[in-house]
Amino acid sequence: MRNAARWLPTAARYCRGLLAAAIGAAAVTSELDAQAAAGTFVIRGGTVVPVVGAQIPNGTVVISQGKIQAVGANVQAPQGATVIDATGLFVYPGMIDSGTELGLTEIGSVPGSTDTREIGDFNPQDVALTAVNAHSELIPVTRVNGVTTVVTSATGALMSGTAALIDLWGWTPDEMAIKPRVAQVMSYPSSGGLGGRGGGFGARPQGDASETASRQVRAMRDFFADARAYADVKAKVAAGGSVPNAPRANQAMESLVPAIRGEMPIIFDVNTIDQIRGVLTLADSFKLKVILRGPRDAWRVADTLAARKIPVIVGPTTQVPGSDDPYDALYAQPGVLAKAGVKIAFQTSGASDVRDLPYNAALATAYGLDMDEAVKALTINPAQIFGVADRYGSLEAGKVANVMVTTGNPLDVRSNVKYLFIRGEQVPLTDRHTKLYEQFRARPKP
Amino acid sequence: MTSRETGDGRRETGSGRKSVSFRVVRRGAALGMIIALAASPVLGQAAGAPNTQQPTLDLTAVSLPIPAAGKLVAITNATIMTASSGTIEKGTIVIRDGKIAAVGADVPVPAGAKVIDGTGKYVTPGIIDAHSHSAAEAINEGTLSITSMVRIEDVLRQDGISLYRQLAGGTTTLNILHGSANTIGGQNAVVKLRYGLPVDSLMFEGAPPGIKFALGENVRQTNRNLQPGQQGRFPRTRMGVEDLLRDAFTRAQEYRRDWQQYDAKKKAAKTAAERTALIPPARDLELDALVEVLEGKRLVHCHSYRADEILMMLRVAKDFGFRVATFQHVLEGYKIADELAKAGSGASTFADEWAYKMEAWDAIPYNAALMAERGVVVTINSDSDERARRLYQEAAKAMHYGGASEQEALKMITLNAAKQLGIDKRVGSIEVGKDADLAIFTAHPFAPNARVDMTLIDGRVFFDRATSPTLEQLIEQMKQRRPRVASEDQ
Repeated sequence: MRNAARWLPTAARYCRGLLAAAIGAAAVTSELDAQAAAGTFVIRGGTVVPVVGAQIPNGTVVISQGKIQAVGANVQAPQGATVIDATGLFVYPGMIDSGTELGLTEIGSVPGSTDTREIGDFNPQDVALTAVNAHSELIPVTRVNGVTTVVTSATGALMSGTAALIDLWGWTPDEMAIKPRVAQVMSYPSSGGLGGRGGGFGARPQGDASETASRQVRAMRDFFADARAYADVKAKVAAGGSVPNAPRANQAMESLVPAIRGEMPIIFDVNTIDQIRGVLTLADSFKLKVILRGPRDAWRVADTLAARKIPVIVGPTTQVPGSDDPYDALYAQPGVLAKAGVKIAFQTSGASDVRDLPYNAALATAYGLDMDEAVKALTINPAQIFGVADRYGSLEAGKVANVMVTTGNPLDVRSNVKYLFIRGEQVPLTDRHTKLYEQFRARPKP
Repeated sequence: MTSRETGDGRRETGSGRKSVSFRVVRRGAALGMIIALAASPVLGQAAGAPNTQQPTLDLTAVSLPIPAAGKLVAITNATIMTASSGTIEKGTIVIRDGKIAAVGADVPVPAGAKVIDGTGKYVTPGIIDAHSHSAAEAINEGTLSITSMVRIEDVLRQDGISLYRQLAGGTTTLNILHGSANTIGGQNAVVKLRYGLPVDSLMFEGAPPGIKFALGENVRQTNRNLQPGQQGRFPRTRMGVEDLLRDAFTRAQEYRRDWQQYDAKKKAAKTAAERTALIPPARDLELDALVEVLEGKRLVHCHSYRADEILMMLRVAKDFGFRVATFQHVLEGYKIADELAKAGSGASTFADEWAYKMEAWDAIPYNAALMAERGVVVTINSDSDERARRLYQEAAKAMHYGGASEQEALKMITLNAAKQLGIDKRVGSIEVGKDADLAIFTAHPFAPNARVDMTLIDGRVFFDRATSPTLEQLIEQMKQRRPRVASEDQ
């Protein structure tokens, strides 16, 4: 990411300033042109929580050229660096939400502003990044709370297409992308009706619905079988083999090739134990690399999931549990999974509420999840699950400088983000909400 | 996520589907069951209908007996967050006959008191949810837009497990309102979460009656997909909403005048024959409730979003001479905080919900703190069976956004809610003489790892984590029953 402001000639920047002033606090802007600044930064005096490795009291983090250059107790500050005094503050890596619709929806009830659900059950060829609005008002609102990276995708179809792993910073979707196609997103059929995200916790199986579910499972298996055949033929052709009646190019099949070869993970939105078992069977049949997301019942097979090294994206914890589950089931599940050795990460599954990601994790810490594990589940774990742990998820030299400086534990609602860096640029902590707040706080008495 | 979008009185899925009668029986109180059946047609139906739910081994069953009415209880050595006069370290609360008899750092434990050790724990007033739809069988009488005659009290039910789960989050009192389909939705019910007791025991005795009003998108039904041939209902615009309100209160004024004239004539009548000759006006249940509003005997709780519609409601109320007790949601309240404060209306809002519909586009999480700063009595409500389980976390957001003080944030889910509902003489803070409605937390209620350990209402323990079925316990039981459960799954 280059310095945004540098791209704009001075005059243009001036005009933009005027325009923003004219429109006032409700102006539509994604803040990219504000005071974002690249450069060399030294954050010192704070408690550094690198996530990987022990906390460093009175530690220093050096950022330049978009990367973390150094982390430690005795780090020399480079010449000419901008110094950020973090005395009494804490330094964490930016947080990662492993399941959102961010950028794909603006106002839930306004159909014209949402791109979260395509017509049809099988759309593996759809690419979420295509529809990410880099200038969504929801993006600055999210990142000022320390969420710097998200997985975003359509959901609700049997095959919804590929999710994008994006940083919440950039002028275009391509600039935001870390992995433009990070995983396929699918919903395992629910005998309680499809209805998105594994069917929700509502309706129980009724004759027709469960018949539909089994038909959907068969259709899904057929689809994978076709994709397997397609990939095999493709491999033969690539190896110079002659294939009679080779199929014509097919977008949907083409898009599934990486997944059927086990190179791209598949996020399965599931809920019940039946769906989880179904996914495990599918994974066995087609040698798929699967990630479970949003399950209610994963705790029932925690040992199995740990043994098979299947990661689980938990949450939102802010849901009511199944009617037959203990009152604390969704709060306690992340702790049960982590203790069993399952790699967990958190999701909000939303858009306007992605900023609440750390508070989802907080609820789990109240019911058995170790605090350090919770922080990992917001940082290094998702980085590992999505194959970017070499660049993301911790404060280590050489990694992308997504860094937040906070007044306390980010899982504590009372804490605030004081400084924020995404890809080494200092990001202004302003958004639609801070502007409306400042505007009306200054309203004269009527 | 439509399943989570309850900002409008839409019910969440997945809660309270358990058979109510079953649960009462399981509590081991056959007598309670009979009372419940007699008292409540809703429960009667549930029991009479064929039970399609399989009451198989239920590990979530609450094993607590119906809480005994504790005579003398002492919570000792706890950090007590009073909500009215700061925090007391290592304090004691003495409860006698369901009321707070003493509170302080140097309060002796009376002989014979049942002692709850509060070492390392935090005690807050029981949480009051100023906007709930739990425990109501139905919440929208959608045929007309003015339905001031319908009452939540008539459709109250114990609502199965959902109420219990809210207790487990320290919530003790709910303001159960109608939904927002109608301009005037109906009469509310303020209840205490006396889960497990007959449904009539839920009512908060002596709480002033209230009524739900609603403005904006939901009343206009502009988000609703009409079926082919189906006609939209009046009103379709915010102007229409005002028209309906003015029409209703004009009718209420005339109705009241008719009764006043009748009463005056009756009083003036000199003989029994004269009195008998007088014909009273026809009783109108719709207008009865609105006359109570005009006379200040019924609190108006008005669902609202945009500043313009709130100002309209304030004008209508002023013209007809009543006060709007609270604006609910009131997401743009921060734009007109001074007007709200001047009118003496409370504001009950979400902590940080926004962008779920057009009229929530200017919602900001600073709303609560900014309105409070301008002198409005502010609460943070749930409007949801889910958020009602963790209102303490929602309240802390008023500190995060806008820097409310710790006590101010706590008041937003306790004392301020009691004030808005006119029950602050009874509940809302930890003070001598008030009801012993308390939540005991394992840590500071705003800390990330805070959990409710115990919830008391009227000094009786209605939730105790130690005796509640938890996930951990369930897993333990499953392991004992099926030692190889994990390997079987493979």
